[in-house]
Amino acid sequence: MAVFDLPGWTGLAPALILAATALALFVVDSISPRSANRALLAGVSATGALASLAVAVWFIAAGVGQGGIDGLGVIDLFDGQFVVDAMALYFMIVVAVVTALVSVASYDYMADHTYQAEYYSLLILAATGMSTMAAANSLVTIFIALELTSLPSYALVAILKDNRGSVEAGLKYFLIGALSSAIFVYGVSLVYGATGHLQLDAIAVALEEDVADGFGGLLGLGILMLIGGFAFKTASVPFHFWAPEAYEGAPAPISAFLSSASKAAGFVIAFRVFTTAFPLEVTGELIGLDWTLAFVILAIVTMTVGNFAAATQDKVKRMLAYSSIGHAGYALIGLAGLTVDGGELVMGAAMMHLLVYGFMNTGAFLFVALAEYWGVGRTFEDYNGLANQAPVACFALGIFLFSLAGIPPLGGFWSKYFLFTGAISVGTTSMLLVAAALVVNSALSLYYYSRLVKAVWIEESVVDRDTLAQPTGLYAAIVFAAVMTVVLLPAFGPVSETAIDAAAAVI
Amino acid sequence: MEGAFSYAPAIAAFPLVAFVVALAFGKYMPKKGALAGILATAGSLLLSVVMLVAVASGEVYHGTIYEWAVGDALTEVGADGIEFTFGILIDPLSALMLVIVSLVAFLVHVFSLGYMNGEGETGLPRYYAGLGLFTFSMLSFVLADNLLMAFMFFELVGLCSFLLIGFWFRTRSAPSAAKKAFLVTRFGDYFFLIGVVAIASTFGTLQFAGEESFVAAAETAIADGTTLFGFGPETWVTITGLLVLGGVIGKSAQFPLHTWLPDAMEGPTTVSALIHAATMVAAGVYLVARMFGYYAQSPTALSIIAFVGGFTALFAATMGVVKDDIKQVLAYSTISQYGYMMLGMGVGGYVAGVFHLMNHAFFKALLFLGAGSVIVLMHHEQDMWKMGGLKDKAPVTYWTFLAGALALAGIVPFSGFWSKDEVLYDALIVGLEQPVILAAYAMGLLAVFFTGFYTFRMVFLTFHGEPRTDTAENPHSVGWSIKFPLVVLGALALLAGVANLAPVAKLTGMDITYLEFWLDGEYGYVEGLTYHDYHELVAFEEGYISSETVTMLLGAGLSLGLAVAGAVTAHVLYNVPEPTRHTAKLGGAYDVLRSNYYQDEYQVWLAEGLTLPLARAADRFDQTVIDGVVNGVSTASLFGGDRVKRIQTGIVTNYAALLVAGFIALLLVLGFIGGWFL
Amino acid sequence: MSVAAGVEYYVLLSMGLFCIGLFGILTRRNALMFLMSVELMLNAANINLIAFAFYHGNLTGQVFALFTMALAAAEVAVGLGIILVLYRNFRDVDVTVPTTMRW
Repeated sequence: MAVFDLPGWTGLAPALILAATALALFVVDSISPRSANRALLAGVSATGALASLAVAVWFIAAGVGQGGIDGLGVIDLFDGQFVVDAMALYFMIVVAVVTALVSVASYDYMADHTYQAEYYSLLILAATGMSTMAAANSLVTIFIALELTSLPSYALVAILKDNRGSVEAGLKYFLIGALSSAIFVYGVSLVYGATGHLQLDAIAVALEEDVADGFGGLLGLGILMLIGGFAFKTASVPFHFWAPEAYEGAPAPISAFLSSASKAAGFVIAFRVFTTAFPLEVTGELIGLDWTLAFVILAIVTMTVGNFAAATQDKVKRMLAYSSIGHAGYALIGLAGLTVDGGELVMGAAMMHLLVYGFMNTGAFLFVALAEYWGVGRTFEDYNGLANQAPVACFALGIFLFSLAGIPPLGGFWSKYFLFTGAISVGTTSMLLVAAALVVNSALSLYYYSRLVKAVWIEESVVDRDTLAQPTGLYAAIVFAAVMTVVLLPAFGPVSETAIDAAAAVI
Repeated sequence: MEGAFSYAPAIAAFPLVAFVVALAFGKYMPKKGALAGILATAGSLLLSVVMLVAVASGEVYHGTIYEWAVGDALTEVGADGIEFTFGILIDPLSALMLVIVSLVAFLVHVFSLGYMNGEGETGLPRYYAGLGLFTFSMLSFVLADNLLMAFMFFELVGLCSFLLIGFWFRTRSAPSAAKKAFLVTRFGDYFFLIGVVAIASTFGTLQFAGEESFVAAAETAIADGTTLFGFGPETWVTITGLLVLGGVIGKSAQFPLHTWLPDAMEGPTTVSALIHAATMVAAGVYLVARMFGYYAQSPTALSIIAFVGGFTALFAATMGVVKDDIKQVLAYSTISQYGYMMLGMGVGGYVAGVFHLMNHAFFKALLFLGAGSVIVLMHHEQDMWKMGGLKDKAPVTYWTFLAGALALAGIVPFSGFWSKDEVLYDALIVGLEQPVILAAYAMGLLAVFFTGFYTFRMVFLTFHGEPRTDTAENPHSVGWSIKFPLVVLGALALLAGVANLAPVAKLTGMDITYLEFWLDGEYGYVEGLTYHDYHELVAFEEGYISSETVTMLLGAGLSLGLAVAGAVTAHVLYNVPEPTRHTAKLGGAYDVLRSNYYQDEYQVWLAEGLTLPLARAADRFDQTVIDGVVNGVSTASLFGGDRVKRIQTGIVTNYAALLVAGFIALLLVLGFIGGWFL
Repeated sequence: MSVAAGVEYYVLLSMGLFCIGLFGILTRRNALMFLMSVELMLNAANINLIAFAFYHGNLTGQVFALFTMALAAAEVAVGLGIILVLYRNFRDVDVTVPTTMRW
């Protein structure tokens, strides 16, 4: 394929396409801020996202990031500040897919918003940040990409300026985000202090060469503070406090966007930083313990807090918000399960889970968007009997929820199953504990997910409803997400192969 | 002949197609699915005969069709993997059984045209679908090359039996009988399942034949003296064999799990003929024959089989003596006859057992179909006391029924005589050395008298004497579809004995014991599954009275004499114009026999007096302790969830504080472990 | 290196600054004070970065400090926008006032 003939910087094409799209939307915004040409704006952003997706898929198919004869190898850019490998492309795909879904769904959801172009340009800017995060290979670029994601996200959550919930959500998200990024930057400064480098490979080399000897405590604190920054992005305990409110108050497509794409982006930098910069063995000697222990604790606490809090919610969106925290806990297993001589199975499983999650969780939130579009209310009771009026969407919802709960044979079951077997195969006591927590929490999650299924399918409606509208964009996005949740099942072979290969490449 | 065997799956597939067709389109078809069934079973019959010919030309087939699970398993004998497969094993035994099953199924389908369609039943598609599914399951069971597949189809035939017994589900008794049949056989199958698991986990294979079979593995284990699950190898083989035997006893209606079969007569008579006489009930005995190599290694298991068989033969025969319902008499005689087969198997008389299985399938199907014909004649009256004098009004039915009766009673030269005599002869020669077997033989011998008696009591009451009711005066007529199967089966009842005229062969020295040659691998055979292989394995000594011939003649004369005596007694008592019940002569015994030795009563007592309180206690435990724990866990979870979510106070400053607190807690834990503060 | 003897003092200074910022975040209810406290924490990191840049003798840290400052400014800009709509909706800039969503 032609990838090699292109200049090196084109390796970042998936992110660059998004950036160009964002700028184009900006141009529209500055010329005609009140432009109401929704079809054009949503179309442009969806097209940009799909183009980014197409390029990323093409790169993977062409063998970027793969060694061997067929592979084109990993593309290093700007002295290793960026790296385009299989994992980067994998997460670029996740981000692009979710962005496309959200763009299409926003066409209907944001129909009444005054400043359309602003919304879409912010959305694509945040997506650019996430896509860049996937390729960032230095603490500097990571931090910039992180902020590029966060800043538009704050604005997006608060975009319904006259809606108290949206503003409150934006405020909380922003304040916790500011605190977390301050902690993160301080962590970066400590790691820099201990090693003298910010580029991830250089940090690893410095650790190997014993530059950081005697700075063990400093390095440990720095690493812990970095974990804090990632925990914020991925909505993991104890940096999760923003998530329930932000997801509940934000426009539902934005909740979908943040809880799927933003979380995935948070995980990709966590995966990259911890596998590249802090090799378990040398880091362990320096700081006196395996940093996986931190992730073991975080994983167990996060999934438990998320699922337990979700169990007794009255509002559907908030339940999904907490369940999203629980799923962050599942994905953390990918880092908790790393070992000196491997762990690609667990990490690959976590990557698979994030991909499947990108569809099923986005779909579930988009259903909430649909419900808000209809104006049926926010609680479980308000959703009663929706299946009578909208069987297709409710069927899709059933797929999303059962997949989220991990019911075979849906996609969510397989990724959880791989996580479980991966955790068991590591075999340490702490990982067995994690596996047990995974099972217990999944069982609990079935309770509240099925509650919602029961509400829409079995319960009788409390109020008489007229026939509900069928907004094209939202329906298309929901149906596509549902189809993908199911289709991923037969496609799981190649997907899991790609994920595990990508994980093996970075470890 | 590999080509011929590639059609083997079609033998079972035809009826399956008929099942689907009858179920889906039966409503719209002219004969409500009957034609599909007849065609399918005819196809199966044809292919079965092709298989028989193929085996006769010296070919056999053993192949796996589908492997549905492969696993690593740690087994007692050290095999380190196990495969669960669907496979086909066609050897002399299964080829023979295929022909029997498909022939009887075909004839029953034809008969149903007259019996069910002719009588204007409703729900016929359901009936033919049931028959189709049953035939499919039964043929698949016969074809099975491993124990697990056999078990699956064993269960499936049980299900079909349930469905068909309960065909007239609007009556009170049929659903209850169906449930009883299902539950009682399931009780036996429960042990069968444990046996399958035990064998699988011991030997890591469930194959019937070949080097990899559990039979061969058991042989090796016994030869090596391997300890299996803490038992000696022979003891373990006995235990597992007896567990599997649980299923056999349930299906073949042996004591004490025989009580379902008489009740199963609630189903249509055609169903009784096919399922509860000729085929499904034979599945148990067939299974013993199929894995005879396994039982042959355990003299204890064999003795138990023989004793249970002998006892059941006598026990059921005595109950048959006092029944008034023509189908009830036949039901008890079926139980009794399967007792003979078990006796034959148990004494190592593999050929005798299979021979009797074959003959019985023919003559008992004949008798049931004959009874069905009588029931049609009598406008669905089954009480023999209301019949009489049908001999002249329905000659075809009478003569064919008589042929079946003579075979059942064991009168020379009808088929039943030859096979029953061979069973008893095999039991006698072993019994002369083994007291337990001798007792079983004695019971079997005594049962011959009762068999002759109840058989001819039935014949005389039904066909002879003066008509005792108006319906018996003017019977309904029967069509060709009823007569044709009767004639075919009547001929077989008369002639099937030719297959193995062992006494004649011994007296004249002619080589005419074809069935023995057949099962002994004179034609096609599978290594290790032949009569002489089994014969070498069986550890029983054999004894003779003065000489083999004398013993044989003595045994044959004795059983024939008893059978004739029984028939003559019946003749004296009942072959009169106005027969009376003669029950007073039996005194107290009559009540006992009428009540079937209170078998149902004690089993109901077992269920109600013993199991029910236990179940209640378990239920109470479940309701209080288990449910309490479960509810407690969910309440605690929800309460916990309610507490957990209260952390989220809504005040962002609290979040910052909690965030920092959580971070510091993590820092303290990790820092303490990592020693950062030193 | 001019600071070779005393890099730990710079770290202590930055940690002190960081803790002051954190203290502000935990105690101040005014959104603007909250923002300023975050700025303090970010600048604590900047002190570290510059001090360590001298210690290690490379400029990476200093460059990163510049990035941090730029991003901090951007963050403040977005933050002020949010505080503005906060005031419009709640008539207050007290961060503890908006509690419509909890539990």
